[in-house]
Amino acid sequence: MLELRNVDTRYGQIPMLRQVSMKVEAGEAVCLLGANGAGKTTLLKTILGMVKPTAGEVIYNGQRIDHLPPHKIIASGIAIVPEREGLFPKLTVEDNLLFGAYYEKDKDIIKSRLEEALTIFPRLKERYHQKAGTLSGGERKMLGIARALLSGPQLLLMDEPSLGLAPATVIEVYDVIARIKAEKNITILLIEQNAQKALEVVERGYVIQKGSIILEGSTEELQENEIIKESYLAVN
Amino acid sequence: MKTKINGTNGKIISLATSLGVCLALYICLVSSLTAALLILALGLGLIIYGERKDSIEQVYLSVEKNKPIVLGIIVLFVLVLPFLLHKNNYLLHVVVMAGIYAIVALGLNFQVGSTGMVNFAPAALFGAGAYVSAIAAVKFGISPWLGILLGMVGAALLGLIFGFPALKTRGYYLSLVTIALQIIFTQMIVNTAWLGGPNGIPGIPPYELAGFSFKQSLKILGLTIPYQINYIYLTFIFLGLTALAASRLYTSRTGLAWNAIEQDEIVAATQGINLTKEKLLAFALGAAFAGVAGALYAHYTSFIGYEDFDFSKSLILICMVLLGGMDNVSGVTLGAILLTIIDEKLRDFADYRMLMYSVILITILITRSQGLLPKRTRKYKEKSTGMPCVGQTVTMGGESSGSLKN
Repeated sequence: MLELRNVDTRYGQIPMLRQVSMKVEAGEAVCLLGANGAGKTTLLKTILGMVKPTAGEVIYNGQRIDHLPPHKIIASGIAIVPEREGLFPKLTVEDNLLFGAYYEKDKDIIKSRLEEALTIFPRLKERYHQKAGTLSGGERKMLGIARALLSGPQLLLMDEPSLGLAPATVIEVYDVIARIKAEKNITILLIEQNAQKALEVVERGYVIQKGSIILEGSTEELQENEIIKESYLAVN
Repeated sequence: MKTKINGTNGKIISLATSLGVCLALYICLVSSLTAALLILALGLGLIIYGERKDSIEQVYLSVEKNKPIVLGIIVLFVLVLPFLLHKNNYLLHVVVMAGIYAIVALGLNFQVGSTGMVNFAPAALFGAGAYVSAIAAVKFGISPWLGILLGMVGAALLGLIFGFPALKTRGYYLSLVTIALQIIFTQMIVNTAWLGGPNGIPGIPPYELAGFSFKQSLKILGLTIPYQINYIYLTFIFLGLTALAASRLYTSRTGLAWNAIEQDEIVAATQGINLTKEKLLAFALGAAFAGVAGALYAHYTSFIGYEDFDFSKSLILICMVLLGGMDNVSGVTLGAILLTIIDEKLRDFADYRMLMYSVILITILITRSQGLLPKRTRKYKEKSTGMPCVGQTVTMGGESSGSLKN
């Protein structure tokens, strides 16, 4: 479904991604693990067309998308839950949700998706007319995920859903991710530092370090890997 | 909220509000500066008190529920106003100008209020409409009615050009660029002989309808009413149309996208909003409004010169949006009308006029930094199922987004 082939991305003269190749098949859940500054978010930005790669190709559903502007890439069925949610704090929960359905014109579809999202996230129903800036961290995260679901995406990108949350809330968020994966036919690319949690829901994973993919494998392989154990799982 | 609003209660509230606002504006218009300022202070106090007590929300709700009553009162007020003022050409002139500036301010609000791009060149866009329509009529003999359309298109094109810097710059940098554009516009007019240069364009023909010139005085029931009445009606018809368009846009996908850009451009892009399209649209649409107002202005005053469209006029237009309340259609309209009236009242101060003007503005903005009527959160109409009915209010402006799919 999504494939990166030898992608190089730079910020000015600073290389951020070097020869990154990875693949996400339809229906799969894949995670990308990496420390701060490893290039995780840059990789996401490259997929979304917000930074253009200097070399390599990004292929989505058989077509190259690396030259397209972000709005066209989003319109082709990719949704993102940005790092720190990326909500519009001065707009209501309702308005924020509606951005998810920005490309959907059928009112009935929008309505049924809203209903579905509000059953998955009942808390948002209580906060429906509140400004998004007044929500708690966990609620904001939920709103970010709900908004992404409202576009009816084929591919869901999540940028560190556990970031800045209390451990109990992290569990809640991951329950939701597992539920989405089980109930809906959405391909998920999860970007995380919290390897333990991420590896609970995905089938495969990649590890990125200093802009290069250094490791890839199935969940079991990664869990057994020494580097992962040492740097991410804190197992001796 | 203390009491739930029921049908009759809401009707009375909305009736009282609309009558009160109309009456207050009328008194501001006819009385001295002191009285006008007192009325303004009283109105401000009422709004602040209402917000503390939460009753302002009730007023908003009942006004929204009983729109026909409110609109009826306003239409009636505009219809009757010229008859109340028929002995005073000057006040009638102020009313026309208030209407014209309100149209420009509504357009400017798309950029400043909705999208957060502070455009310091609204007067240039206003002037573009005026010059296009005036040149078309004076040099090519084109009907002023068609001139409205030409002025609108001409200004919208200039708006597009002004919008291009907005794609690359933001915040203070964008403001600087628009200031430069404003100065280029006035300098260009001064230095182009074909556009009348510093002498302006005199002898712009008025509107005509079936042989009746809009510069003729009306005689109704033995009363002779100055010709300004024709222009009051014409201007306020256009103001009504533009206000309707602006409020529809506010609740549309486009309005939502503009707000998103205002708050966070990067996040807006991750939500699939086409930044280029939406920013240019805010400029072009706002400019189109200004163009219509400009065309009306040119054929109303019959003379235009560069000084009508200079930087200080731009500042006043921005003040109207800021003072009225950004991204609130009624607020912006009210702000434009009030500032036009106050500006005229200050003519007595001669040299100290701008000083007084700024003192009043600063005082108002200190007491109310968000403007008279601040931006409101959107609420969509709910259907009986209890679920929000989204489509009703988000359908407009979404037509082009469909083509981007696949």
